Amino acid sequence: MELAMAMMLGALAILTLGSIFSFKYRQFGFYAAIVALVIGLAACPGRSLYYGVFIFAIGIINLVSLNAIKSEIKGVDYGLVGLMALATMYIINTSDLAMVLAALVLVSVPTYILVMIREGGANVEVGIKYITFMVFATVLFLIGAIILAYTKSLPDAGLLYVLGYVMLVLGLSLEVGVAPLHEWVPDVFTSADPIPISIIASLAKIVPFIAALWILIYTANSLTASITIFTAVLAAISMFTGNIGALTSKEHARVLAYSTVANMGYVLTCIVVVPVVVVIEQGLVVIKPEFIYLALAGGLLLLFANAAGKIGFFNAIKGEGAYSPLMYMLAFSFIGVPPLMGFWGKLFILLSLVEVGYIWLVALLVINSAISIPYYVRLASELGIGWKANLTNFICLAVVVITLITVVPPDWFLRGMEVLAQTISIVI
Amino acid sequence: MIMLYFLLLPLIAVFIAPLLTPKRATYLSSAAFIIPFFSILYCIFKGNGCPSEIHIMNFSAPIGEIYLNFDFISHAFGLTICAVSAMVALFALPYMKHRFEEMKRNVKSEFRKYIFLYDLYAVSMLWLVYSGNLILLYIFLELTLITAFLLIYSYGYGNRKWVGLLYLIWCAVAGVLTLAGFIIIALDPLNNTLALKGITTVGMLAWAFIFVGMLIELPVLGPHVWLPWAHAEAPTPVSALLSPLTVGLAGYVLLRIALIDYSFITTYRMPILAYAIFSSIYAGFSVFTQTDFKRLLAYSTVSQMGYILVALCLGPFGLIGLVIQYMSHAFGKSILFSSAGGIIAVHHGLRDINKMGGLHDSIPTISNAAVVGFLNLGGILTIGMLGEFFILRGVVDTFGVNTMSLAIILPVIFMFMLSVWYGFYTIRKVFYGKPKDTKRLEISRYFYVPLFIIGILSVLLLFPPLSTALIPGLKAVIWTFMGVGGVMP
Repeated sequence: MELAMAMMLGALAILTLGSIFSFKYRQFGFYAAIVALVIGLAACPGRSLYYGVFIFAIGIINLVSLNAIKSEIKGVDYGLVGLMALATMYIINTSDLAMVLAALVLVSVPTYILVMIREGGANVEVGIKYITFMVFATVLFLIGAIILAYTKSLPDAGLLYVLGYVMLVLGLSLEVGVAPLHEWVPDVFTSADPIPISIIASLAKIVPFIAALWILIYTANSLTASITIFTAVLAAISMFTGNIGALTSKEHARVLAYSTVANMGYVLTCIVVVPVVVVIEQGLVVIKPEFIYLALAGGLLLLFANAAGKIGFFNAIKGEGAYSPLMYMLAFSFIGVPPLMGFWGKLFILLSLVEVGYIWLVALLVINSAISIPYYVRLASELGIGWKANLTNFICLAVVVITLITVVPPDWFLRGMEVLAQTISIVI
Repeated sequence: MIMLYFLLLPLIAVFIAPLLTPKRATYLSSAAFIIPFFSILYCIFKGNGCPSEIHIMNFSAPIGEIYLNFDFISHAFGLTICAVSAMVALFALPYMKHRFEEMKRNVKSEFRKYIFLYDLYAVSMLWLVYSGNLILLYIFLELTLITAFLLIYSYGYGNRKWVGLLYLIWCAVAGVLTLAGFIIIALDPLNNTLALKGITTVGMLAWAFIFVGMLIELPVLGPHVWLPWAHAEAPTPVSALLSPLTVGLAGYVLLRIALIDYSFITTYRMPILAYAIFSSIYAGFSVFTQTDFKRLLAYSTVSQMGYILVALCLGPFGLIGLVIQYMSHAFGKSILFSSAGGIIAVHHGLRDINKMGGLHDSIPTISNAAVVGFLNLGGILTIGMLGEFFILRGVVDTFGVNTMSLAIILPVIFMFMLSVWYGFYTIRKVFYGKPKDTKRLEISRYFYVPLFIIGILSVLLLFPPLSTALIPGLKAVIWTFMGVGGVMP
């Protein structure tokens, strides 16, 4: 473990040096970020290797996509994305609350700068709006997390636990754009440049969920099961708000913004599942890993599918269209057509929801998957054009390959998550 | 293992055919289905000599083992899918060229996209019926949906994009409901798997989800709203797969679930039966009110799918009837949709049956093929006859011979007669009567030879040795699942 930590620190050092030297030689930042990600991947232990590979791939594609924009901080932006990817790789392997929260901040803060990137200047107006919401979200999340951690030492947490839980979930919701706290999402997604938004909508969504899952599992107690209804209702509201918003929107970026709101609602259902499976046996809190790994695998696959899709679609918006079959593949992955990645994500989440008896949420998730079909098909149809050998199409091709990985049924991923879930339960 | 390679052939063709010229791609696609057709036929004759399953991989619980299932039920469906897909592929060569020209698109490049989607569509159906795990089955069910949607969306008629979406949304809802049912099966502690051979029970909730989902997919009266649009506005080769093969696969899914646990059907037999008969008769009468030939055939499909649902309720004999009904409807309807396509291609988009009449004089070959198609639907001198026999046998077997059973037998017989009635009505209205144009037209052989091959097969399946090889095999499988003892009749 110490070697892994040393490798991570080394990767951070390389990133920092790359960003410094990129002021003189811009490509330095790019290569330094790639080297840092390779080191980060090498530091991933076997149980989270598949996860690491996915983050590595998404990180590299995000880095490459930055070449489509001429930003004024060229070089540093590579460093920021590299930092986000490293923190995302790291969070799954840590069992330290402080490091989990540090990873959350390391992923959140770079987006404050990235969101302002645009060609020939800085998009300050969007930046202010985004930062205001994000700071508020991060503060809510951190306070919620600390309260929850504190309740672990109390014999009777009671109301304090509920307060911590609600603050944490609200902070998470604001951070990732779960309705009704999604106010910033459509405005920022439509006003900012598509490339930084593709990063915010992809890589930046993963860590907050893992952090929330980790904290909620770590602090779970007998009250958890009764309070998950709060998260379930939020998830349901988000699915409907997102899908109805996307159905009634015309601007592509706005459709994708609402699609994010809906997708975050789907992923939030994992938060519903995980604490419910904490049971008290002979006075001890026992985690049932057979349920957690399903929820964890489902949530992560859905986040990866969301990341791949958002990168592809936002790059297509930037490039004024991309190859039509690629657009359709991404749309089908979002819809949840098997054997694409989106399908497996939803399937595992559904399985875990049925396990814990949230049948009504299963029904809502299924209905929402169906009502999302028209806008994804419309998006694919409107953004789809003929083949051209350009950066946009290569990026789209790369993300389609990611969604196609699950053509090999992802038992391999499920087994990895099983080992990981067991590790979490052992730690607790 | 050899069967696996035969099933892989059409899958390989999916990726090779788009690289070839339209003619070669068509021959390759057709051959890729004809070869497995003969291998299935071989297995049907050989009986227990062929492997009953091929293991693919083990998935964590609750998904379980993923394997291919090679029993007689799968073979019967597989044989039909191969035969129809191979022949419709040939029919589609001149038809789709004509369609691309009509749409003012580049024939060569569009054909590449079309043949890829067509092959993927057909192969998904083929693999679906051999899937030994419900999740694998669901994957192929969704693949058929997506490929058919793309074909309608890209090459359909009228408001094709709207129709495509209508089809996609309805069938996606059907699919996810079915998936919800599968998930409930998987999480039942008595099962903890989705492998067909490992599932021991299907709870009422799971059954309800699957049943409603598949009612939409079949479809029967009520959720049928998407079908006349989709089948009428799809490019005709797609209609010739969609109506004969795809919708009936809902019957296949219901059959597989019923073979595991028949309790849902036993509990709700009478309401389902009444609904199915009413649906079939209502849709049968609706045929008379249609003026668009393809739409007319679509309503006939709704009526014929009522047969499938009726058969599902009628115990082991009914289930044999279900399989044979699927085959006969597939043969008949593929011929009829292809005939409609032939008329569209030869008579410049003609679909209005009020403007038809006497077409036998101008296109006698297509007219003759259509007659064979309607004979299949009516159950006259084709395999459809066996289907109707087993359905009636199922009624008698389930309800006995008494006044009560007459209340079922008479509507069922009327249901059968209605198909014959609207069949001859359509033949007279479209192909006979006063001809609008007596000039005999030269038409491509692709427009009728494949149709006659399907027609001949449908007749051959009525007689030994094909029927005597197929039906005992079907009985053996269904009898085993249903736990019926004694000597097989």
